[in-house]
Parts: sequence; structure tokens; C-alpha cells
Amino acid sequence: MRAVHKRYLREFIPAMSAYVLLILLYGVLMPRMEGMPWRVVLALLPLLPVAMVIRAIVRVIRDQDELERRIDLEAIAIAAMTTGFGYFSFGFLLNADIGLEIAPASIAIWVMPCLFASFGVAKLLVARRYRSHA
Amino acid sequence: MHNHVRELRGEQSWSQADLAERLDVSRQTVNAIETGKYDPSLPLAFRIAKLFGRPIESIFIPGEE
Repeated sequence: MRAVHKRYLREFIPAMSAYVLLILLYGVLMPRMEGMPWRVVLALLPLLPVAMVIRAIVRVIRDQDELERRIDLEAIAIAAMTTGFGYFSFGFLLNADIGLEIAPASIAIWVMPCLFASFGVAKLLVARRYRSHA
Repeated sequence: MHNHVRELRGEQSWSQADLAERLDVSRQTVNAIETGKYDPSLPLAFRIAKLFGRPIESIFIPGEE
């Protein structure tokens, strides 16, 4: 593994671990928390490690080699368009009042996971274009 | 664009991983260049030329568009 990817894992794994811990804390404490300021703090706390994950991703994209960067940037463009198009379509369906009843919080919370998941799929597809078994 | 990177690497008895390490790129990138799936940027092409001690135009040959 190249140094740039080792550094990425060194940054990504602790940040994701902190995120999982804070989400667990959120699940346990939020139902018992009554004061508004503390509910806001508890709700926003898991976003700190997410910001660190984003930083790690930006740094690895910036510092990896030119083909790796190209693959990632193409995949991010496809993922952004796919997620945007998906949510846009979903918005039209919700607006059509066809019996979809989903909490607004659930819709908003799933934006980022959808973006990451579509990035993963797009990256596999884009990388295949540059791969050869020769 | 065609190139002679694979032949030049073979002359040195380097693996793709060896060349990748010398160029500070991934093995995937070396493979994509050798198989013509990816044309390197000008700075990387110059690094390749410098590593093999050859003029850039003797390594990279423009293909028909």
C-alpha cells in the first residue's frame, strides 16, 4: 500500500470509529435529553468525525497519483449527479402525494450515505475502464 | 497514443510495481499507461522519459485520432 493510502486509513479509521461511538451515544442519550441546547450539541456532535472523514477523503484525492485522482473525481461527479437525480425524482413523487409517508429527517439523513454508496459503485465502474488484464 | 513503456521496463527487468515505485504512482497507473488505457500527463511523461534516459518522443508516439 502506498504512503498516501496508509495515511488515509490512519485518518479515516479513527474518525469513523468516533462517528460510530457518537451515534451510539446519540441513540442512548437523545431520548433522555430534555434541554434544548444539549439536544442541539448531541445532534451535531457526530458531525465532527464526519467532517474529519471528508477531510481525509479530500487529502487522499489531492495527494494520490493522477489516474487515481481522475477515477475518484469522475466517480464523485457520477455519484453527485446520481444522488441529486434520485432525490429530485423522489421529491416529485412526494409532491405527487401518492401515499409515500417518510419522515423528513430520514430523507435528509440518507443523503450522505446515498452519496457515498453511489460513489463506491461509480468508482468500481470507472476504474474498470482503465483496467486491463494484459 | 502508443508507447514503449512496457518494452523499456522489460529491458530493465523491472516489474510494474518496481516502475510504479520509481515514478511514485500506483501499479494500476503503470498498467493503464502500458496498455494504452490511459495517456499520462505531460509532467508524468517527462518523468518516465527521464527515468529511462530517452527523449519523450521516442517513448510516446501519437496515434491516429
